[in-house]
Amino acid sequence: MAQAMTPRETNPNFMNGVPELLILRLLEDAEMYGYEIVQAIRERTDAVIMVGEGVVYPVLHALERAGALRSRRKTVSGRSRIYYSVTMRGSRRLADLAAEWTSLAGAIQKTLAGGRYGDVVA
Amino acid sequence: MATWLRELRERLLQAGVAPRHVRRYLTELREHWTDLTAEEERAGRKPAEAEALALARLGKVDDLARTMMERPELRLVDGAGSMGSARRWSGAWAGSGVECGAADSVVGRHVVSGRFADALCSAPWVRDRLFRRGQGALLHRPLLTGWGMILLAARQRVQAVWPVILGSLVVALLGATGNVDVRPPSIPGDSGDVGIQFYPLLSQLPDSAGRALLLFVLVALPYLVWRWRSSPA
Repeated sequence: MAQAMTPRETNPNFMNGVPELLILRLLEDAEMYGYEIVQAIRERTDAVIMVGEGVVYPVLHALERAGALRSRRKTVSGRSRIYYSVTMRGSRRLADLAAEWTSLAGAIQKTLAGGRYGDVVA
Repeated sequence: MATWLRELRERLLQAGVAPRHVRRYLTELREHWTDLTAEEERAGRKPAEAEALALARLGKVDDLARTMMERPELRLVDGAGSMGSARRWSGAWAGSGVECGAADSVVGRHVVSGRFADALCSAPWVRDRLFRRGQGALLHRPLLTGWGMILLAARQRVQAVWPVILGSLVVALLGATGNVDVRPPSIPGDSGDVGIQFYPLLSQLPDSAGRALLLFVLVALPYLVWRWRSSPA
Protein backbone atom coordinates (compact mmCIF):
# COMPACT_ATOMS: atom_id res chain seq x y z
CA MET A 1 0.00 0.00 0.00
CA ALA A 2 1.34 3.34 -0.97
CA GLN A 3 2.35 5.47 1.99
CA ALA A 4 0.46 8.74 2.27
CA MET A 5 2.75 11.60 1.29
CA THR A 6 2.59 14.59 3.56
CA PRO A 7 3.65 17.91 2.10
CA ARG A 8 7.02 19.02 3.46
CA GLU A 9 8.69 22.37 3.36
CA THR A 10 11.49 22.47 0.84
CA ASN A 11 14.94 24.01 1.36
CA PRO A 12 15.16 26.31 -1.66
CA ASN A 13 18.39 27.81 -0.49
CA PHE A 14 20.67 26.11 2.00
CA MET A 15 22.04 29.42 3.19
CA ASN A 16 18.59 30.81 3.80
CA GLY A 17 18.24 31.71 7.46
CA VAL A 18 21.95 31.18 8.28
CA PRO A 19 22.73 34.84 9.06
CA GLU A 20 19.57 34.99 11.19
CA LEU A 21 20.56 31.86 13.11
CA LEU A 22 24.13 33.03 13.69
CA ILE A 23 23.06 36.51 14.74
CA LEU A 24 20.51 35.21 17.25
CA ARG A 25 23.06 32.78 18.67
CA LEU A 26 25.73 35.46 19.08
CA LEU A 27 23.38 37.98 20.60
CA GLU A 28 22.12 35.47 23.11
CA ASP A 29 25.55 35.64 24.77
CA ALA A 30 25.94 39.41 24.74
CA GLU A 31 24.51 42.54 23.20
CA MET A 32 26.47 43.75 20.19
CA TYR A 33 26.41 46.30 17.40
CA GLY A 34 26.67 45.51 13.69
CA TYR A 35 30.44 45.69 13.27
CA GLU A 36 30.99 43.47 16.32
CA ILE A 37 28.48 40.93 15.01
CA VAL A 38 30.24 40.63 11.65
CA GLN A 39 33.63 40.27 13.38
CA ALA A 40 32.26 37.63 15.75
CA ILE A 41 30.75 35.60 12.90
CA ARG A 42 34.07 35.64 11.07
CA GLU A 43 36.01 34.59 14.17
CA ARG A 44 33.64 31.89 15.39
CA THR A 45 33.25 30.25 11.99
CA ASP A 46 36.97 30.55 11.17
CA ALA A 47 35.99 32.74 8.23
CA VAL A 48 34.12 29.81 6.61
CA ILE A 49 30.92 31.83 6.71
CA MET A 50 31.40 35.38 5.50
CA VAL A 51 28.30 37.51 5.56
CA GLY A 52 28.30 40.75 3.55
CA GLU A 53 29.34 43.37 6.08
CA GLY A 54 26.61 45.83 5.17
CA VAL A 55 23.84 43.34 4.56
CA VAL A 56 23.75 42.25 8.19
CA TYR A 57 21.66 45.33 9.05
CA PRO A 58 18.50 44.49 7.10
CA VAL A 59 18.51 41.14 8.94
CA LEU A 60 18.85 42.95 12.27
CA HIS A 61 16.04 45.39 11.41
CA ALA A 62 13.76 42.57 10.29
CA LEU A 63 14.45 40.53 13.43
CA GLU A 64 13.73 43.55 15.59
CA ARG A 65 10.51 44.21 13.73
CA ALA A 66 9.52 40.58 14.29
CA GLY A 67 10.10 41.09 18.02
CA ALA A 68 13.09 38.73 18.16
CA LEU A 69 15.56 41.52 18.96
CA ARG A 70 15.51 44.82 20.78
CA SER A 71 17.86 47.71 20.14
CA ARG A 72 19.20 50.64 22.09
CA ARG A 73 21.41 53.51 21.10
CA LYS A 74 24.56 54.07 23.14
CA THR A 75 27.27 56.65 22.74
CA VAL A 76 30.67 55.03 23.26
CA SER A 77 33.82 57.19 22.98
CA GLY A 78 31.85 59.81 21.07
CA ARG A 79 30.50 57.24 18.58
CA SER A 80 26.80 56.49 18.25
CA ARG A 81 26.30 52.72 18.45
CA ILE A 82 23.09 50.77 18.09
CA TYR A 83 23.29 47.69 20.26
CA TYR A 84 21.04 44.68 19.69
CA SER A 85 20.00 42.01 22.19
CA VAL A 86 17.71 38.97 22.07
CA THR A 87 14.17 39.01 23.44
CA MET A 88 12.22 36.03 24.80
CA ARG A 89 10.63 35.61 21.40
CA GLY A 90 14.09 35.69 19.85
CA SER A 91 15.26 32.90 22.16
CA ARG A 92 12.31 30.73 21.09
CA ARG A 93 13.04 31.46 17.44
CA LEU A 94 16.69 30.57 17.98
CA ALA A 95 15.69 27.22 19.51
CA ASP A 96 13.43 26.45 16.53
CA LEU A 97 16.04 27.47 13.96
CA ALA A 98 18.80 25.57 15.75
CA ALA A 99 16.69 22.39 15.84
CA GLU A 100 15.89 22.77 12.16
CA TRP A 101 19.53 23.26 11.21
CA THR A 102 20.78 20.44 13.42
CA SER A 103 18.33 18.11 11.72
CA LEU A 104 19.30 19.34 8.25
CA ALA A 105 23.02 19.14 8.97
CA GLY A 106 22.56 15.61 10.38
CA ALA A 107 20.75 14.52 7.23
CA ILE A 108 23.46 15.95 4.99
CA GLN A 109 26.22 14.39 7.10
CA LYS A 110 24.60 10.95 6.92
CA THR A 111 24.09 11.27 3.18
CA LEU A 112 27.74 12.16 2.74
CA ALA A 113 28.72 9.18 4.92
CA GLY A 114 26.71 6.90 2.61
CA GLY A 115 23.91 5.99 5.02
CA ARG A 116 20.23 6.89 5.11
CA TYR A 117 18.71 9.58 7.22
CA GLY A 118 17.71 7.97 10.51
CA ASP A 119 20.45 5.29 10.49
CA VAL A 120 22.81 5.19 13.44
CA VAL A 121 26.28 6.26 12.36
CA ALA A 122 29.20 5.30 14.56
CA MET B 1 27.09 62.92 3.68
CA ALA B 2 29.12 60.66 1.35
CA THR B 3 27.81 60.31 -2.22
CA TRP B 4 27.20 56.57 -1.93
CA LEU B 5 25.15 57.05 1.25
CA ARG B 6 23.07 59.76 -0.45
CA GLU B 7 22.47 57.51 -3.46
CA LEU B 8 21.51 54.63 -1.19
CA ARG B 9 19.09 56.82 0.77
CA GLU B 10 17.29 58.01 -2.36
CA ARG B 11 16.96 54.48 -3.73
CA LEU B 12 15.58 53.08 -0.50
CA LEU B 13 13.08 55.89 0.00
CA GLN B 14 11.91 55.63 -3.60
CA ALA B 15 11.48 51.89 -3.12
CA GLY B 16 9.12 52.57 -0.23
CA VAL B 17 11.38 51.57 2.69
CA ALA B 18 10.17 53.26 5.87
CA PRO B 19 12.19 56.47 6.54
CA ARG B 20 13.06 55.42 10.11
CA HIS B 21 14.66 52.19 8.82
CA VAL B 22 16.50 54.13 6.11
CA ARG B 23 17.78 56.65 8.65
CA ARG B 24 19.03 53.98 11.02
CA TYR B 25 20.52 51.86 8.22
CA LEU B 26 22.55 54.84 6.99
CA THR B 27 23.76 55.64 10.51
CA GLU B 28 24.83 52.04 11.04
CA LEU B 29 26.57 51.82 7.67
CA ARG B 30 28.41 55.08 8.26
CA GLU B 31 29.65 53.86 11.66
CA HIS B 32 30.57 50.47 10.21
CA TRP B 33 32.50 52.15 7.41
CA THR B 34 34.42 54.22 9.98
CA ASP B 35 35.27 51.04 11.92
CA LEU B 36 36.44 49.24 8.79
CA THR B 37 38.52 52.22 7.70
CA ALA B 38 40.20 52.32 11.12
CA GLU B 39 40.85 48.58 10.87
CA GLU B 40 42.47 48.97 7.44
CA GLU B 41 44.57 51.91 8.69
CA ARG B 42 45.78 49.81 11.62
CA ALA B 43 46.86 47.24 9.03
CA GLY B 44 49.15 49.89 7.53
CA ARG B 45 47.06 51.28 4.66
CA LYS B 46 47.03 54.94 3.75
CA PRO B 47 43.78 56.79 4.62
CA ALA B 48 42.44 57.03 1.03
CA GLU B 49 43.25 53.38 0.34
CA ALA B 50 41.78 52.33 3.68
CA GLU B 51 38.53 54.15 2.92
CA ALA B 52 38.21 52.52 -0.50
CA LEU B 53 38.93 49.05 0.89
CA ALA B 54 36.47 49.59 3.71
CA LEU B 55 33.80 50.56 1.21
CA ALA B 56 34.49 47.46 -0.86
CA ARG B 57 34.12 45.28 2.25
CA LEU B 58 30.89 46.97 3.19
CA GLY B 59 29.31 46.13 -0.17
CA LYS B 60 28.16 47.78 -3.38
CA VAL B 61 25.28 50.23 -3.22
CA ASP B 62 23.27 47.83 -5.42
CA ASP B 63 23.67 44.98 -2.92
CA LEU B 64 23.09 47.20 0.12
CA ALA B 65 19.89 48.54 -1.44
CA ARG B 66 18.65 45.16 -2.70
CA THR B 67 18.97 43.38 0.66
CA MET B 68 16.93 46.10 2.35
CA MET B 69 14.33 46.29 -0.43
CA GLU B 70 13.86 42.52 -0.39
CA ARG B 71 12.29 42.77 3.05
CA PRO B 72 8.66 43.80 2.68
CA GLU B 73 8.27 44.15 6.45
CA LEU B 74 10.62 47.16 6.39
CA ARG B 75 8.58 49.02 3.81
CA LEU B 76 6.08 51.75 4.48
CA VAL B 77 4.52 51.63 1.01
CA ASP B 78 5.14 49.99 -2.37
CA GLY B 79 7.76 51.58 -4.60
CA ALA B 80 7.26 55.31 -5.05
CA GLY B 81 6.66 54.93 -8.77
CA SER B 82 4.20 52.06 -8.58
CA MET B 83 0.49 52.31 -9.30
CA GLY B 84 -0.31 50.63 -5.98
CA SER B 85 1.60 53.33 -4.15
CA ALA B 86 -0.05 56.12 -6.14
CA ARG B 87 -3.51 54.72 -5.43
CA ARG B 88 -2.66 54.34 -1.76
CA TRP B 89 -1.42 57.92 -1.47
CA SER B 90 -4.45 59.42 -3.19
CA GLY B 91 -6.71 57.21 -1.05
CA ALA B 92 -4.93 58.30 2.10
CA TRP B 93 -5.39 61.94 1.10
CA ALA B 94 -9.11 61.64 0.56
CA GLY B 95 -9.51 59.43 3.62
CA SER B 96 -7.73 61.84 5.92
CA GLY B 97 -10.04 64.69 4.83
CA VAL B 98 -13.16 62.65 5.51
CA GLU B 99 -11.75 61.39 8.80
CA CYS B 100 -11.07 64.95 9.96
CA GLY B 101 -14.63 65.96 9.15
CA ALA B 102 -16.05 62.92 10.90
CA ALA B 103 -13.87 63.49 13.95
CA ASP B 104 -14.98 67.14 14.15
CA SER B 105 -18.58 66.06 13.90
CA VAL B 106 -18.26 63.41 16.61
CA VAL B 107 -16.41 65.77 18.98
CA GLY B 108 -18.89 68.55 18.25
CA ARG B 109 -21.85 66.29 18.96
CA HIS B 110 -20.31 65.27 22.25
CA VAL B 111 -19.81 68.91 23.25
CA VAL B 112 -23.33 70.10 22.46
CA SER B 113 -25.11 66.97 23.66
CA GLY B 114 -23.03 65.96 26.65
CA ARG B 115 -22.54 67.40 30.07
CA PHE B 116 -20.92 70.51 28.57
CA ALA B 117 -24.23 71.51 27.00
CA ASP B 118 -25.60 73.18 30.12
CA ALA B 119 -22.35 75.05 30.66
CA LEU B 120 -22.45 76.26 27.06
CA CYS B 121 -26.03 77.52 27.55
CA SER B 122 -25.14 79.47 30.63
CA ALA B 123 -22.09 81.07 28.97
CA PRO B 124 -23.13 82.18 25.47
CA TRP B 125 -19.80 83.93 24.80
CA VAL B 126 -17.93 80.65 25.30
CA ARG B 127 -20.37 78.93 22.97
CA ASP B 128 -19.99 81.59 20.27
CA ARG B 129 -16.23 81.50 20.56
CA LEU B 130 -16.14 77.70 20.28
CA PHE B 131 -18.36 77.68 17.20
CA ARG B 132 -16.35 80.43 15.54
CA ARG B 133 -13.22 78.40 16.16
CA GLY B 134 -14.97 75.32 14.75
CA GLN B 135 -15.82 77.18 11.55
CA GLY B 136 -12.23 78.45 11.28
CA ALA B 137 -11.10 74.84 11.51
CA LEU B 138 -12.86 74.22 8.21
CA LEU B 139 -10.28 76.44 6.54
CA HIS B 140 -7.10 75.48 8.35
CA ARG B 141 -7.85 71.76 8.80
CA PRO B 142 -7.69 70.95 5.05
CA LEU B 143 -4.50 72.97 4.79
CA LEU B 144 -2.86 71.15 7.69
CA THR B 145 -4.09 67.78 6.38
CA GLY B 146 -2.83 68.50 2.87
CA TRP B 147 0.54 69.82 4.03
CA GLY B 148 0.96 66.85 6.36
CA MET B 149 0.36 64.41 3.51
CA ILE B 150 2.68 66.35 1.21
CA LEU B 151 5.40 66.22 3.85
CA LEU B 152 4.99 62.43 4.00
CA ALA B 153 5.00 62.19 0.18
CA ALA B 154 8.19 64.25 -0.01
CA ARG B 155 9.86 62.16 2.71
CA GLN B 156 8.96 59.00 0.81
CA ARG B 157 10.15 60.54 -2.50
CA VAL B 158 6.80 59.93 -4.23
CA GLN B 159 7.62 60.46 -7.91
CA ALA B 160 4.13 60.27 -9.42
CA VAL B 161 2.57 63.75 -9.49
CA TRP B 162 -1.03 62.76 -10.18
CA PRO B 163 -1.84 61.26 -6.75
CA VAL B 164 -0.64 64.46 -5.11
CA ILE B 165 -2.65 66.67 -7.48
CA LEU B 166 -5.73 64.45 -7.15
CA GLY B 167 -5.35 64.23 -3.39
CA SER B 168 -4.91 67.99 -3.05
CA LEU B 169 -8.01 68.50 -5.19
CA VAL B 170 -10.06 66.17 -3.00
CA VAL B 171 -8.84 67.86 0.18
CA ALA B 172 -9.60 71.30 -1.31
CA LEU B 173 -13.10 70.25 -2.39
CA LEU B 174 -13.87 68.68 0.98
CA GLY B 175 -12.60 71.77 2.76
CA ALA B 176 -14.44 74.21 0.49
CA THR B 177 -17.80 72.44 0.36
CA GLY B 178 -17.96 71.43 4.00
CA ASN B 179 -20.63 73.24 5.95
CA VAL B 180 -20.99 72.96 9.69
CA ASP B 181 -24.61 72.74 10.72
CA VAL B 182 -24.78 73.69 14.40
CA ARG B 183 -27.85 73.59 16.59
CA PRO B 184 -26.68 74.63 20.03
CA PRO B 185 -28.81 73.85 23.07
CA SER B 186 -31.10 76.80 23.78
CA ILE B 187 -32.24 75.94 27.28
CA PRO B 188 -30.42 74.08 30.05
CA GLY B 189 -31.18 70.35 29.98
CA ASP B 190 -31.72 70.38 26.23
CA SER B 191 -29.20 68.94 23.83
CA GLY B 192 -27.88 70.42 20.60
CA ASP B 193 -26.63 68.89 17.41
CA VAL B 194 -23.66 69.27 15.10
CA GLY B 195 -23.40 67.95 11.57
CA ILE B 196 -21.13 68.46 8.59
CA GLN B 197 -22.46 68.57 5.06
CA PHE B 198 -20.11 68.19 2.12
CA TYR B 199 -22.11 69.96 -0.56
CA PRO B 200 -22.45 73.67 -1.23
CA LEU B 201 -25.74 75.47 -1.40
CA LEU B 202 -26.41 76.86 -4.87
CA SER B 203 -26.13 80.41 -3.60
CA GLN B 204 -22.72 79.62 -2.06
CA LEU B 205 -21.34 78.00 -5.21
CA PRO B 206 -19.06 80.87 -6.37
CA ASP B 207 -17.81 81.32 -2.82
CA SER B 208 -17.09 77.57 -2.47
CA ALA B 209 -15.36 77.42 -5.87
CA GLY B 210 -13.09 80.32 -4.93
CA ARG B 211 -12.30 78.71 -1.60
CA ALA B 212 -11.60 75.36 -3.28
CA LEU B 213 -9.20 77.01 -5.72
CA LEU B 214 -7.43 78.85 -2.91
CA LEU B 215 -7.10 75.67 -0.84
CA PHE B 216 -5.91 73.67 -3.84
CA VAL B 217 -3.19 76.20 -4.66
CA LEU B 218 -2.09 76.48 -1.03
CA VAL B 219 -1.99 72.69 -0.56
CA ALA B 220 -0.36 71.69 -3.87
CA LEU B 221 2.05 74.61 -4.25
CA PRO B 222 4.68 73.48 -1.70
CA TYR B 223 4.82 70.04 -3.35
CA LEU B 224 5.16 71.49 -6.85
CA VAL B 225 7.93 73.84 -5.66
CA TRP B 226 9.72 70.91 -4.00
CA ARG B 227 9.44 68.82 -7.21
CA TRP B 228 10.72 71.70 -9.32
CA ARG B 229 13.69 72.33 -7.02
CA SER B 230 14.61 68.64 -6.66
CA SER B 231 14.26 67.76 -10.36
CA PRO B 232 17.60 67.29 -12.14
CA ALA B 233 18.67 70.28 -14.22
